[in-house]
Amino acid sequence: MNVGTSSVLNITDLLNRVDNDRELVSELFLIFKSVFPSHLQRLSDAVAKELPKQVEAESHTLKGMLLNLSAVRAAAIAAELENLGREKKIADMSEALTEFQSEVETLLLQMESVEFQT
Amino acid sequence: MKILIADDDPISRRLLEKTLQRAGYDVVAVQNGLAAAEHLCKQDGPRLALLDWEMPELDGPAVCREVRKKKDLGYVYMILLTSKGLKTDIVTGLGSGADDYLTKPFDSGELKARLRTGQRILHLEGRLVEARENMRFKATHDALTSLFNRGVIMELLGREISRSRRGRVPTAILLCDVDHFKAINDSHGHLIGDEVLQEAARRLLLSVRSYDYVGRYGGEEFLIILNNCDPVSAPRRAEEIRRSLSDTPVQTSIGPLSVTMSMGVHQTENWGVRSVEELLHQVDSAMYAAKAAGRNRISFTKPENSTSDTDHAVPTETEQLLR
Repeated sequence: MNVGTSSVLNITDLLNRVDNDRELVSELFLIFKSVFPSHLQRLSDAVAKELPKQVEAESHTLKGMLLNLSAVRAAAIAAELENLGREKKIADMSEALTEFQSEVETLLLQMESVEFQT
Repeated sequence: MKILIADDDPISRRLLEKTLQRAGYDVVAVQNGLAAAEHLCKQDGPRLALLDWEMPELDGPAVCREVRKKKDLGYVYMILLTSKGLKTDIVTGLGSGADDYLTKPFDSGELKARLRTGQRILHLEGRLVEARENMRFKATHDALTSLFNRGVIMELLGREISRSRRGRVPTAILLCDVDHFKAINDSHGHLIGDEVLQEAARRLLLSVRSYDYVGRYGGEEFLIILNNCDPVSAPRRAEEIRRSLSDTPVQTSIGPLSVTMSMGVHQTENWGVRSVEELLHQVDSAMYAAKAAGRNRISFTKPENSTSDTDHAVPTETEQLLR
């Protein structure tokens, strides 16, 4: 088990926040994996269609989920996308989205690698 | 304690749910603001709530506003959950009626501490409501018998007569006076007199329906209003009430005492233009007629076109039942 203070997934912080309930962490990862694709799809669509309000709303939702999972870096990029949406900076959205996708791919891999002792 | 969680984010919702269940809360989890408002606006709904700021249908602040509009609800302590960190957002959230806010991702220790604060407020509110209800009861009920006091029973009488007059619904007014009450007080003392009045009140209450009214009119006088009581059944109902006291001796601290009462009854759906005071005067006269006729009996007020104040005193229950 990797319990280091990774900047991608801070598992120590997450375990602290759930009173060391590893079963719950596994459950939260499963929930994230099941709901994330549809959120990412909506975010990508909003960026492609240049809809800043939707970009702001979808990024806000993703930011909340990622913060709850202690995925600090991905949450920071989601926050940046939220700001771009709020400020209607359409030109910068595509680049931020690419960065976000890459970060979440790493995050998903790290989630896979986390194995708890039972 | 029951607590509502409203969050459209399934991760946050599950995290909160598990944390709070572990802390001993009875959790109700919903995923949008509309469902949250519905739960919180129910009379027996949760009184503690964690509301996400951003939600479909209604957002957290809008839920707070909806709940605060319901004046008849007990207090609901609401905490907004937000990843918004700006002071203006916080001011907006608290301005909508939220009691507190918590920034995501929450720390479970902080969350539980803030909820304990909420519980303290709710407990305090519960004590205030209880104190207010006690005061309201004392202001409207007789201290000795716990029946409605004179002011309230008179107000109810006025209201029922108006309702009866409007809807032409029959109503019966009964004025009951405990017989020889002065003798009970003089022979056995006022404490025994009080015991008699308390037991008489209890029996009167037990002998009427939940939507009838019983009040202490004066010292040993009780006023009863029987709603929707037609003239055919009124004599029977009055007789049952009279017998509720006379049939079984009152158990007092010096032993059983036989106690009876005399009763004046007015029954009609045609109230004419008489005032409450005039009607009461007539019922009072009927009650005195029952006393004069030997006590422990019922006397009815005169019909509308009669010349005397009272119709007749009924000497026995059998005769009265035959009417």
